[in-house]
Amino acid sequence: MSVIVVAVASESGVPIFSRKRGSNENIQFSTIASLHGINMFTKCHNLSLINTHLDNGTIIWKEYCKSITLIGIATGGLQCDLENLLACIHDVMIFCIGKKELENLKNVDQIKRDLRQCYPILDYLLESLDPNSLPQSTIILDYIQSLLCPQAQQLQEVLDNYAQTVTGRWACLSIHGHLVATSSDFFELDAREAKLLLLLAAAQDGAPLRETLVYLPQMSPNVAFRAVTCKLLADVYVLVICGATPPLSEIDEIVLRCWEGYAQIIKEAKLTYPRNFPTSFTFDPALLGVLVINVAKRRCVFSRHLHGSNQKSRSMSNAHRIDILRTFFVTSVKDLVPEFNSNESEETDACQSILSETFWCSEYHKCHMQRSGNILCCGLYAPTVPTHTMRLMTSTLLQDLLSNKDIYW
Amino acid sequence: MNTFKNKINYESPCDSDNDWTNSSDDSKYSESESSSVPDWDSDIAEDGELIYIKSKSNDDNSEISKAPLLENCETFKLRNDFKRSSTRRSKGKIFRVLKSRKIRNKNAGNEKKNDIGDNNKFIIVQVSKNMIFSSEKNCQIEKLFGISLETHADGKTLVVSDFLPEAKAIYTSKVKTGYYLQKINGIDVTSHNINNVLQRVKEDVDNPKLLFQAVTQGFNIDIEKLLLSKNAQENSLTQLLRDSMCSILYVCGNDVDYQSNDDNVLYCYPRPFNQNFLYNTRGAYLTLNHLAPKSLGTSEPVLSSVLHKNILINIAYASHYSDLLLVALPNSAIDVFAAKRVITDIIRLLEFLYGSLKICFTKPNNVDKLDSLFSRIFIILLMGNKDSSKVNNYIYTEAHAVSLPLDVKIQVDDAITELEAADYREWTDNVENFQRLYTVIGSCLYYSGHLLSSHLQDEDLKEINAYLKLNGIMKLSSEKELGKLVMWKEVFINESRKQNKNDGNEYRIPDGRWFILIVGKGHFILATLMEAGGCTEDAIGVIPPSAFYVEECESCLELLFEVGLDKYLPSWFASNTQPQVEICPENLTKQGKRNREVGSSKLDIKNSFKTKNMEIKRRNNSTELKTGSADNIHSQSLYGQWYNTQKYRHSSLDVTYSEDSGSLKSNSEISEDRVIGRRADREQMNRRDSSGSDSDWDKQDCSRSSNIEISDIRKSLLDGLNNHITVHRLTAGDENVLFHFMNLESEKGILIAPVNNIGEQANSLLYSYIVQTFKKSFKKIHDLLQHNVRFKKSQIPSNNLNKILVAVKEYGMLFDVPQDVLVQCGISKKNCGPFQFWVVGRVFSEPEPRELYVCYHESIPQDLTDIAYLLSYLE
Repeated sequence: MSVIVVAVASESGVPIFSRKRGSNENIQFSTIASLHGINMFTKCHNLSLINTHLDNGTIIWKEYCKSITLIGIATGGLQCDLENLLACIHDVMIFCIGKKELENLKNVDQIKRDLRQCYPILDYLLESLDPNSLPQSTIILDYIQSLLCPQAQQLQEVLDNYAQTVTGRWACLSIHGHLVATSSDFFELDAREAKLLLLLAAAQDGAPLRETLVYLPQMSPNVAFRAVTCKLLADVYVLVICGATPPLSEIDEIVLRCWEGYAQIIKEAKLTYPRNFPTSFTFDPALLGVLVINVAKRRCVFSRHLHGSNQKSRSMSNAHRIDILRTFFVTSVKDLVPEFNSNESEETDACQSILSETFWCSEYHKCHMQRSGNILCCGLYAPTVPTHTMRLMTSTLLQDLLSNKDIYW
Repeated sequence: MNTFKNKINYESPCDSDNDWTNSSDDSKYSESESSSVPDWDSDIAEDGELIYIKSKSNDDNSEISKAPLLENCETFKLRNDFKRSSTRRSKGKIFRVLKSRKIRNKNAGNEKKNDIGDNNKFIIVQVSKNMIFSSEKNCQIEKLFGISLETHADGKTLVVSDFLPEAKAIYTSKVKTGYYLQKINGIDVTSHNINNVLQRVKEDVDNPKLLFQAVTQGFNIDIEKLLLSKNAQENSLTQLLRDSMCSILYVCGNDVDYQSNDDNVLYCYPRPFNQNFLYNTRGAYLTLNHLAPKSLGTSEPVLSSVLHKNILINIAYASHYSDLLLVALPNSAIDVFAAKRVITDIIRLLEFLYGSLKICFTKPNNVDKLDSLFSRIFIILLMGNKDSSKVNNYIYTEAHAVSLPLDVKIQVDDAITELEAADYREWTDNVENFQRLYTVIGSCLYYSGHLLSSHLQDEDLKEINAYLKLNGIMKLSSEKELGKLVMWKEVFINESRKQNKNDGNEYRIPDGRWFILIVGKGHFILATLMEAGGCTEDAIGVIPPSAFYVEECESCLELLFEVGLDKYLPSWFASNTQPQVEICPENLTKQGKRNREVGSSKLDIKNSFKTKNMEIKRRNNSTELKTGSADNIHSQSLYGQWYNTQKYRHSSLDVTYSEDSGSLKSNSEISEDRVIGRRADREQMNRRDSSGSDSDWDKQDCSRSSNIEISDIRKSLLDGLNNHITVHRLTAGDENVLFHFMNLESEKGILIAPVNNIGEQANSLLYSYIVQTFKKSFKKIHDLLQHNVRFKKSQIPSNNLNKILVAVKEYGMLFDVPQDVLVQCGISKKNCGPFQFWVVGRVFSEPEPRELYVCYHESIPQDLTDIAYLLSYLE
């Protein structure tokens, strides 16, 4: 499997960056030129290449801002998400250098240099298409990886307070790269923006306090904000988007003031990882892994440590479990849920079907998805579980999720 | 004399057949010849190929063609006696039936729709008098009919521009905006006389009948003409193809081989070159085709989607050594899924016809032929889109087979086998001096686009199927009743193409030539593959069809008519029994169930007409078929009342004694008779001129009574149908919850599914919604399961495969029917919870890959392995 993404300046054909993941060799300059040439040539003939299917992959050209063409090539993985990946990568570029800069593209070399800072984020994004590795920060491209804990409500108040003091609006707390709690306005941000913020924190691993100039691709693509990431404890970050003031040194003090008293709560919340669900919430022993998605808030929670600590002996490797559920979600669930792909209303019209459940049976596992309202629940089961039992268990799980008091999105 | 001899060469034993009835002298050839020149003789092309079509010149043709599968036996009989009045009578009947039915369906129902004459051109809608639509504009037309009209650009024709909301339900399925309103109560209407006509309508007591003309986007092309025309197509057609972005291009990768123009394009259609977008942008696809495997390390491209002039176009690639074949089709007609299938079929077809792609496009003087072939292919593909919903279009390349009852199957097979056996001794005594022209290597029989039987190798069947499908013969035969169709063509069978590579094989097929002979009559198409080589006479030069073999095929079809298969099949297709699918999904709602309970507990006719009728249909197809004529929906409801009072109680019995041995007995009788019937003619001839041959078969002399026999046989076959139907069910549980299924055996090239017109039989919005969703999901599931199939086939764990997807063998989806669809179907919200149905696909990899897709109601869980098992018993 491999994913390659190449960015080329549309007019000049100068390659801006190329990132890859997987077994493929690095793409040569001449190949990039040819690929770009194909696109340019068809454009001259009033024809735009949308995508090309390979035997087990896809090639996509996509032009953004009329200045940059992204070329994506994916094979053997989750190529169905490639288009989405390019859109996300475009967002990353705006996030880092702003839309204006990208549109003008005056100094390509400068932009090349500027974009270098977002390579780590790009690499995190590429992970999401690779089924063979254990994804760290991106299980599903445009979903915010989260952690559900009972403390979230309490933490929200603190975050609100903190955001207010630094004259920002949007703040959130992340533990191990998972979104734990947000300020009450946080969901004004587009899910992709929120996601990029979390990835930014992950990319700046280790720095105790840092400010970065960011452009919000949806909210303000042309005016930069200041993203301040602050490390509270090991693997615990608080992020806030605010204006130019107050200066970093002041923020340092504010953080201390705001968060001093809540170390204990954060520590408690941290215990939820890696199970990612409140301890009061129990799972059926037959369940091997679970992926829960909040459609409205674009958050996803994955857990494979469902039954305490003594479950190492299971046959299926842990990484594999994420992988199965993710593949299941991306290939079979995502495009059947209308909210997930509102942009392409190609053949929807009259015959839009409403999917409420779906399942896979493979030789080594079974997956089942059920949806109720905004909550979508994918369960991973052993192949021995009968299909109807599986349905029953997922639906019980879904009911529990909806009724559990400790779950706070 | 010399020319004469030549003729004898290909003029087959049949002529000698006639001949030795007169004398044994060779010089008499000329006479017999003149008397037996077949009517297609003059149509033979220079290269020996033949396409001859004669449609049935029958006044009632339109009606038959309307729904061949629902052909009513009763009307059929009547028609034979007095043509005109009978149709009218049956029409009236249907009207009445529809009327009463609709009233039952909806309490306030007062509209009747009729699709008589719906042969894609004219639609009749009957609007009730007592319905008055509220028109804001106080316009008469809107008030009376609930439609608003506008005048066509020509200033005369009236065009439907909109429907009032209340009237929408009446028209939507049949009439669309843009259709022309042609007649009201049989009177031609134009913008000039419309007011007068409306006035008359108001005074008239009867319900007005509106006749609409369907306007198909600019084209209404006769497949027949397309098949027959040998020359380049007329301009309008080429323009049409150009506008709809259909295109084909063959580019040679090797400059040295051919220096045609300045570039390497060996073939391009439609022309001129510079107006063909595919030609203009070919560089992109060529580069991509080279680049992908070489520089990117991926596989070759399969398909590109491009946007040109706001039309989404799918361009499929097929590499052939260093050459590249490109086929472009608009996404609106052929989506990505279908386009991949279309190109495999096109390649199959071209290889079948020419041996290889290269030969196909480099053969001298072949351009005109290719032009007409591709224009045909494109038109067929575009038209397929027109009359059915998009999701149906080309989703499988396999031949759609129907399972027949064993005894019928035996008869069909028997008839074909006899043709294939081509037993010499029946034709001539002079066996020694006589060498056959061809060996029949196999044949397959289609009825209305459904495969009844195939005695071909899998690959050959796939190729012939592609040939019939892409040339529109399949469509032609299912839409029209053919008077006579004869096609003859030299082909290159799969085996011979492959053979060259591994020579020295002990079981080599002879170096010979192969021909396909397609003979059609009624809705039957019989395709026969013949071999000249080995034990037959050598085929040298141009080989025109042999009258004898054509006659043999014709008589084979004739035989099927004699046994009444032409009447049996429509009712069999309409019987929905093997296996039965639930075509009234409404029955499975709470409301439907309750109504049925009420209905079955006491035979109260008045309360629940609708549900009861449906229930009977559902449970007791056997009963229904017993009447022999109740083979379409309309007549079912016609007899509905009758069932309720009399027949219903017998239903359980029917099912039980359906498997009795009586039927078996009659089978054996039939087959015996049948053989006699056919042989008898020959024997009769034999005896007349026989020089005292006392062979065995002469003794069993039934020939004189053969006519009577035949009618008896027909009767017995039809009787057999009536007594002998077992309703097979695939799903578990008390009720039949199966809506649709597809069993795909891609290796064999066979698909088993309910007959094509099952949707029409069902005539239910909910059902068609379900089937549409099923077909859409089918594509998704199929694509996913291909990972598994491909992996199993190659057995090499490739790096490029997604290891998770490869293991998936079953994939299911549960769908909710949207509330508005339910409401439109008259299912009230109160009475039914969510209506949910599963679409599940599973691949069985042993012994060869086979995929099963089923669509069933959620109420009863099903096991696909069980269903597959049951289904395999029906085959």
